[in-house]
Amino acid sequence: MKHVLTSLGALAAMSGPAFAQTETVQVEIAPTQTTQFQTAGASDVAVAAPSQAYCVSIMSGFPNDDTVARYQFFRLTQDIAQDATPQFRATLAQYGEADVSQDTPILEVIEAIANPVLRQAAPEMVIGYMDHLIQFEDRCETYISGQVDSLKAYDADLVWEDPIIAEDALFLRQVLSDSLDRVGANNDPVHSFAAQQYAQSLITTRDNMEYQVFVSDIDELETLYMTDLDGRLARSNDIINEEMDREVLGDAVILSDDMNKAAREQEKQRTLYTLIRILGGGY
Amino acid sequence: MGRLTKTFMLGAALLGTSALATGCATTAKGVSQSAVMKSSQTERLAKEVPPGTVMAVVRYPAHVDAAAEDAYYKAYGEKVIGGKWSKSRGDLAEMHALADSMILKSNYFALSLYKELAAKMPAHNVLLSPHVIKLGADGKLTSEPMTQAESLPNVVTVDFASYTFPDTKKMMGKEPLTFGDLVTPLVTVRTDHRAAAPTQGLLMASAPILPRAAGNGRDAVNESLSIMQTGRFKTSAPELDFVAHLKGDQPMGVTTRPMGAARPNSVTAYPLEKIQMNKAELASMNEKDGGAVDPLKTAFSKGFANQIIGIINRTDVDKAAMAGRASAISNFDESLAALTLVGSRDADYQARYRYAERLMEAEQKYLSVQSLRLFDGVHNGEMGAQVRDMLKAEHKILERRRELARKQNQATALAILGAVAAGGAIASQDGNNSYAERLAIEALIGATVYAGTKAFSLKRQSRAVGSNYLSSVVPALEEQQTVQVNLIDSNETITAIRFEDLRAKLQTLYNNKQRSLDTVATRCGYTHDSGSKTGTWLGVCENGLANGTGVGVLRNADGSSVEYYGYAVNGQPQGPGYMITHTPTGSYSLEGNFTAGRADGAMRLSKAGQSDRVMSYQAGQQIGKAPSGSVVASPFKTGLRPGDLAMANYGVN
Repeated sequence: MKHVLTSLGALAAMSGPAFAQTETVQVEIAPTQTTQFQTAGASDVAVAAPSQAYCVSIMSGFPNDDTVARYQFFRLTQDIAQDATPQFRATLAQYGEADVSQDTPILEVIEAIANPVLRQAAPEMVIGYMDHLIQFEDRCETYISGQVDSLKAYDADLVWEDPIIAEDALFLRQVLSDSLDRVGANNDPVHSFAAQQYAQSLITTRDNMEYQVFVSDIDELETLYMTDLDGRLARSNDIINEEMDREVLGDAVILSDDMNKAAREQEKQRTLYTLIRILGGGY
Repeated sequence: MGRLTKTFMLGAALLGTSALATGCATTAKGVSQSAVMKSSQTERLAKEVPPGTVMAVVRYPAHVDAAAEDAYYKAYGEKVIGGKWSKSRGDLAEMHALADSMILKSNYFALSLYKELAAKMPAHNVLLSPHVIKLGADGKLTSEPMTQAESLPNVVTVDFASYTFPDTKKMMGKEPLTFGDLVTPLVTVRTDHRAAAPTQGLLMASAPILPRAAGNGRDAVNESLSIMQTGRFKTSAPELDFVAHLKGDQPMGVTTRPMGAARPNSVTAYPLEKIQMNKAELASMNEKDGGAVDPLKTAFSKGFANQIIGIINRTDVDKAAMAGRASAISNFDESLAALTLVGSRDADYQARYRYAERLMEAEQKYLSVQSLRLFDGVHNGEMGAQVRDMLKAEHKILERRRELARKQNQATALAILGAVAAGGAIASQDGNNSYAERLAIEALIGATVYAGTKAFSLKRQSRAVGSNYLSSVVPALEEQQTVQVNLIDSNETITAIRFEDLRAKLQTLYNNKQRSLDTVATRCGYTHDSGSKTGTWLGVCENGLANGTGVGVLRNADGSSVEYYGYAVNGQPQGPGYMITHTPTGSYSLEGNFTAGRADGAMRLSKAGQSDRVMSYQAGQQIGKAPSGSVVASPFKTGLRPGDLAMANYGVN
């Protein structure tokens, strides 16, 4: 029950900039809670308004009974749309062919992309489904960010850089790139550049992901070794310093003073003797 | 010739001797502010270095190996700075104590510089590199770093030692001294010779050791070229310049300039100076403050740190660190090392280089912890406290000697006045003096003689004060040295064991994560502009010849040598490149475009004593000044295209 409420809450929270209307609306987010939104006036034009119905419609197909699942799907959508330039989207529009609408649940779309049979038999369908997701992310970025931020605010355990989500997104993007290759986009004089650029960006993303894992491993190793070294050296310094005898220098200085006193006396005697000898006529 | 005459003659003789022998005693003064303080400007560090590269490494003599002690004492007594000293007339035990205390003080005061530098730089950018003075394989003195601090790429290295003239009898004179409130720093600042070709990397040096520091730099260049000819980068850390001076290495002439003077591509000569630290600050050092009061800071370290910041700001940090970086990377990736000299935007190279940098960064942080703990153990520990006690005790000794010197001067003045007066009285005597007058003259002569004798006595006492102190403090010196060695050894041992362990783990991580390089660095032939294949190329090769980016080294029959960083085709420089030519009389560099091994187009020329100039070249010949606005091609500006590592025809104009 809590998860349902959360999803609804998140939906309500994300609609701050998005649900721009000309009247005050009340959204019921739980039986006992009511949130009021002061919306824009009649003359205001909301930035996201043209896509509102489209975005809300697609988002309603996202899981809404589990915060984590909902968050993961939104983040996955964001990651999937990475590096999709306008030229690349044109390539997808050219080669994509899928029976997908605003009402198709997101889970169904993603399952279709990942389906190995479909990937082999109908790459243009895979391209079409991916195009659907990328178009959605492009047009509804504000809504998606709002959802992600709200869910993160609700559940602090949700992390932005989730390696599992990143890995899944990269897998789906790789499927897209392979599908484009299969349908011949890489040899199309109009679309080959965009398709190859996209394939190159996958390598860069893969590199970055692997580097993040490497950095994380190094960070761990570094912390472990630096802490260990620091502790060992501190203990060693203490032991060595404890062994040092401060008295030695003090004794040496006192000895030096004593020797100087003796030297002074000796010199005084020598001076008197010399004077007496001289004044006494040389004996 | 009665009794009076006899007394007069004795007195006059004694007085004459005393006046000559004692003269006017000096009171061991120093300058309150070093020349580095006067000529320094407070600058903010304006340069950045990539991860894994450190800005500065402070090197200093920390310990003398038992087997090298005799050679060290002998050299210390022979290669005297700031005066003349005959070992036969000196006290060897005292000289040894001074030699030992020099090492101890260098240990302590180097930390003052470290602290000041660290405060002005980002974290982990200053490392300590204590050296042990030992006998080399040839039986001569040398020094080796006790830690791995110099194994990482750096922008500058700073050698620091505090010097004392090896004769306590000269302590109150003008000779250099590090005792009590007086410090005589010996320093050198150098960068890699690739960043300062005309001076072979030497940027600043104390005047007395400057020629041998320059010679030490030349030796480092020769070693680096020889190593590269064998296909590797790893060179040993050069010995301390002070040790090069002690062992009397071959000096080398180099263009110099006085501090504060503007003379480009020359070495700043730092004058030998005896710096007097603030007495109040010295007195305020106590056991409780843990060394928070640093009297050397206001007299020297702060200004010197500013000088070093200024030097770094004016140094091409990429050129300074590139060979060190290649060397460090070659420890775990030979095929990548030579490619890093010029760099590339190839995705596979970039990916791999990023890993290498992160690896070096881990080592940098690790070694930085070691330096911090070394500082902590020495400066904030018992040893630091005892050095501060020692400085205070020495200061008292020095003050006592100064007091005695002042008294001696007064006594000398009285003796001279008395002699003049007595001389006048005797000159007027004509044999008719009354008995009373004769008594008065006799008393005057007696007083004069006494004043002279007193001056002698004070001088002896003054010497005794210094000698007695040094004799008595020997056990304390020995103990401090033992502790110092233990602290460094402990750091070194613990760090070395853990460092090797860490390095092995880093290597495993690196190997596991690497994607393959499309283009790898290997070793092949390099020809410069002649037809014969005489040199060595480390970098991208094709058909046994340089073909892409890398470094080429060759030695000519006339004793000159050439190193070239940049692009090559068919074994010859072709495209943007940086060429350094070393001749027996000096070194110079050319940066710009090369065609078939020869300078071609607008080239930046760096020569000793002259500002860098952009000149026009054709087929290797200088044909005049380059037109205003000419663009100088550089291999280090990575506005390069993917695939540039193996670009076979880059720069074919």
